[in-house]
Amino acid sequence: MDTLDAHTWLADHGDYLFRVARRQLHSDELAEDAVQETLLAALSAQARYTGDASPRTWLTGILKHKIVDLIRRSLREVEIPCDADGEEAVDLLFKQDGHWAGPLRPWGNPHAEAELGQLRRVLDECADRLKPVMAQVFSLREVAGMETDEICKELGITPTNCWVLLHRARLFMRQCLELNGFSKAGAA
Amino acid sequence: MKWIPTCKETSVLASRAMDERLRFADRMALRLHLAICENCARFNEQLQAMRRLFHEDAAPGDDAPGLAPGARQRIATELQNQRDT
Repeated sequence: MDTLDAHTWLADHGDYLFRVARRQLHSDELAEDAVQETLLAALSAQARYTGDASPRTWLTGILKHKIVDLIRRSLREVEIPCDADGEEAVDLLFKQDGHWAGPLRPWGNPHAEAELGQLRRVLDECADRLKPVMAQVFSLREVAGMETDEICKELGITPTNCWVLLHRARLFMRQCLELNGFSKAGAA
Repeated sequence: MKWIPTCKETSVLASRAMDERLRFADRMALRLHLAICENCARFNEQLQAMRRLFHEDAAPGDDAPGLAPGARQRIATELQNQRDT
């Protein structure tokens, strides 16, 4: 076997793998690294590819591990998650007595596919604006659907840190979505 | 935690309930607060809406940008290098 396969994979599935990785890593550069590492790993493992799954499914399976690897590596460079900034930003969303600082507007129920597509783009943009580690942990949970104990184990962070990151990410995401017209877009 | 938590505390419980089954006392506290607080009930619904919209299988995902040409070229070169070594 030669590299014909790997180059075909790049041509046929490169964009797809990149989009999957981009939504979870929130960085073009990291997503490109993930695609490259996936294809290199696939190339060395291609003898083990049995053809039971489609190439895309097989490559996506490898990609999932590479995404977690890359997040684990980027975690080593930051302190998580109990930065004072994050806590202060959370405090701004609530009054001193623990009530919400302002009313939460309803989102409604978008059904049209075009509307849904637009909402998902806003979601991705809002997630990109979170701090990288927060966005990545949030996406492992909500995009990839990993269980939290699995995320903690894979990334080597404590469950408490995991809960704090997810809670903050959800609060900030909700606020960003509302500020970006989610309530109006959904109110059709 | 008091038997009716504040909105801030409720947001912690609601978030955590998205990830695991809460202890009985927390579950009751959450349910009680959601029953009487419109904002928190909305927050809770929106957490679930976010999950539905965000999940990878829900995404159409082909109108997002793909690999940049430069990156594609770099990856092709790396693949070639690996074969040559």
